[in-house]
Amino acid sequence: MSSSCPRPATSLRLAATGGRADLMRIVLTALGGAATTVGLLLAMSVAAIGSGDGPYTADVLNQPGLRPGVIVVLLLLCVPVLFFVGQCTRVGAPQRDRRLAALRMAGATPADVRRIAAMETGLAGVIGAVLGATTFFAGRALLGSPQVREVEISTDEIGSDGQVTRMVETLSTAAHTLPTDVTLPAWSIVLALLAVPLAATAASVVALRQVTISPFGVIHHRVTRPPTLLPIVLLLAGAGGLAIWETVATTLRLDLQDGLGLYAGVALVLFVLAAAGLIFGSASVAFLIGTWLAPRVRHPSLLIAARRMIDAPFTASRASSAVLLAVLLGAAVQGTRTTFLLLTDPSDGFYADTFRLLDTALLVAIGVAVAGLLVITAEGIVARRRTLASLTAAGTPRRVLAAATLIEVFLPLVPTVVLATAAGVLAARGFFGTTVQPPGSGRVPGRDVTAPVGVPVPWVQLSVLAGGTLAAVMLVTALALIFLRRSTSVTELRTAA
Amino acid sequence: MNRTSTTQPTPSHLGPDSSMLRARSLVVSYGRTAALRGVTLEVRRGEILAVTGPSGSGKSTLLLTLAGILVPDAGEVHFGERCITAENESSRSRLRRKQFGVLFQFGQLVPELTAEENVALPLLLSGRRRGVAITAATTWLDRFGVADLAKVRPPEMSGGQAQRVAVARAMVTEPEVLFADEPTGALDTLAGEQVMTQLVRVAREADTTVVLVTHDARIAAYGDREVVVRDGVLPDPIPADEASVSGREEGRS
Repeated sequence: MSSSCPRPATSLRLAATGGRADLMRIVLTALGGAATTVGLLLAMSVAAIGSGDGPYTADVLNQPGLRPGVIVVLLLLCVPVLFFVGQCTRVGAPQRDRRLAALRMAGATPADVRRIAAMETGLAGVIGAVLGATTFFAGRALLGSPQVREVEISTDEIGSDGQVTRMVETLSTAAHTLPTDVTLPAWSIVLALLAVPLAATAASVVALRQVTISPFGVIHHRVTRPPTLLPIVLLLAGAGGLAIWETVATTLRLDLQDGLGLYAGVALVLFVLAAAGLIFGSASVAFLIGTWLAPRVRHPSLLIAARRMIDAPFTASRASSAVLLAVLLGAAVQGTRTTFLLLTDPSDGFYADTFRLLDTALLVAIGVAVAGLLVITAEGIVARRRTLASLTAAGTPRRVLAAATLIEVFLPLVPTVVLATAAGVLAARGFFGTTVQPPGSGRVPGRDVTAPVGVPVPWVQLSVLAGGTLAAVMLVTALALIFLRRSTSVTELRTAA
Repeated sequence: MNRTSTTQPTPSHLGPDSSMLRARSLVVSYGRTAALRGVTLEVRRGEILAVTGPSGSGKSTLLLTLAGILVPDAGEVHFGERCITAENESSRSRLRRKQFGVLFQFGQLVPELTAEENVALPLLLSGRRRGVAITAATTWLDRFGVADLAKVRPPEMSGGQAQRVAVARAMVTEPEVLFADEPTGALDTLAGEQVMTQLVRVAREADTTVVLVTHDARIAAYGDREVVVRDGVLPDPIPADEASVSGREEGRS
């Protein structure tokens, strides 16, 4: 008895058959998948560091107590990359929709086309996982030899007169740059290889549940209800709660020695609330701005942008959520750094190394998030090419359409980036307090008295973070406008969609 | 792109006084495929010219070239005294925005804008105040019988309703020439005829010249004159001065 559904090989062949846009989607998804796999394998390498491994040039890897933090940072880095993968899966969606509809017309059942579409994403995930694993192990081989470096070991000795004498000893040691010497358990490699294809396929299946693929086209069941103000309430509750949490904890006389877990747990919940509010709230912000602008403006660019913000606020939110998350974390790190600079010795290489590592991670996260924004903006232009070409043919200047695209991306992002920056720094200040007592401050001969010092707001770093992110967004949106010229070409007037 | 000036003399029967558009020896190619192979044509002021022909014959390419959307590889298009093929893209865009109206089969309305905003768009692009533009848009929507759709967005309209809004948008600037490429191609017979009846009535009232591309003989019948494009050439164009403005010649398909 023959099966009623196509053979797996047939489905796979149909999944891999597509045009240039389909190939671009597979390539971008695979690249995002490869980056995620590298991140996962790195996290697993850090987790696998044993007592006989190392030492490493980065001190955070040498301290067993700090490795979980490194693992968390690496896993968090995978989040914007996964957002990027999610955005890449939408590249060339109209062409794919037409292909899937044609398959339905040729007799494929809804389940068949869902399987084919999921297979395509899974295939990109497999390619990405293999590419990522190959890159990871090639990198391991290249960076495998330890580097000889000099380590300064300092010890403080307190003399009989109470004076502190610092003894510094320099040792030559061989250290690895990355944990390339650890043996990764086989299960962790298998897990890293399976994670991306499975996650990509699952995401594809979930996304396909929101569409109906008929022989005449793909109907997207879009969220038509306008966004509510609930996410803004969440953001205000989370950020506001964080801002006063330290004061509340002090008032409640929460013992930080015994109750550190409770203290950190509440702060984490408030931070997650603020992050969720920010991600979902960006749609509300876009909707509010659009609703206010649309009936008032007379400039066509503003009018088109405002109407698009009302019509598809969740599109803007999807595109900007990874950027906002990265800015939120970045601002929290900057706030934390300011506190630590007061509490620690500025010449201590350990903290400098740690914050440099965090800065690099954030830079990568913002870069990936902004790249995702580029993909979704370019895809938005290409998807509307028929309308854009018609408008251009009717005499609408391309600069009007370009300005509309820039405004649509940029306008909701400015207030939300400011909110993300404020929420991030409030989180750090709320957790660590707005005053600290640095060791040795107010020292007088014979007594060690500490005086509270106010933690300054790192305005410069925050401005660089917010301004730099907005500048990067502006740059990539301008890059995406390259697609506008092609999409308004007269040949687009001859295409059906 | 090579552009060669025509060496063909203007046919003597095409009087420059009454002509709105003059195309001479137009050559347009898509890669190796020649879409127009030396088309010469004149469109008179106030006439409704139907351009017909089989699929792939080059009739849409002719319309796009006459409207200054496409620049020919060779030949010239004159709008009055202006040689629009010699003008740059910005200048041709301004011309299309202010003096031409362009109408396609589908997909020309901005889906996120309401009907009145879509119709007001060309006026807003020309710097009119929002209130003035919206009032004018409402008037034009009313003329096409779709004033009740002013606040409705295109995805919520039927094909016929959307196309009437599109015609209103093409006419809101009171263009001298309206270029319509298969304007009823996506509509059923009844809706297509309703759109054409209104389009012709309004064009006559506004003394707008219409260049209408269609493969449908019933739609072509709305024209005062018909030219048939075959394989990128006009085998036997009916001279503009021989065609009746009030009625088209019989017997051509």
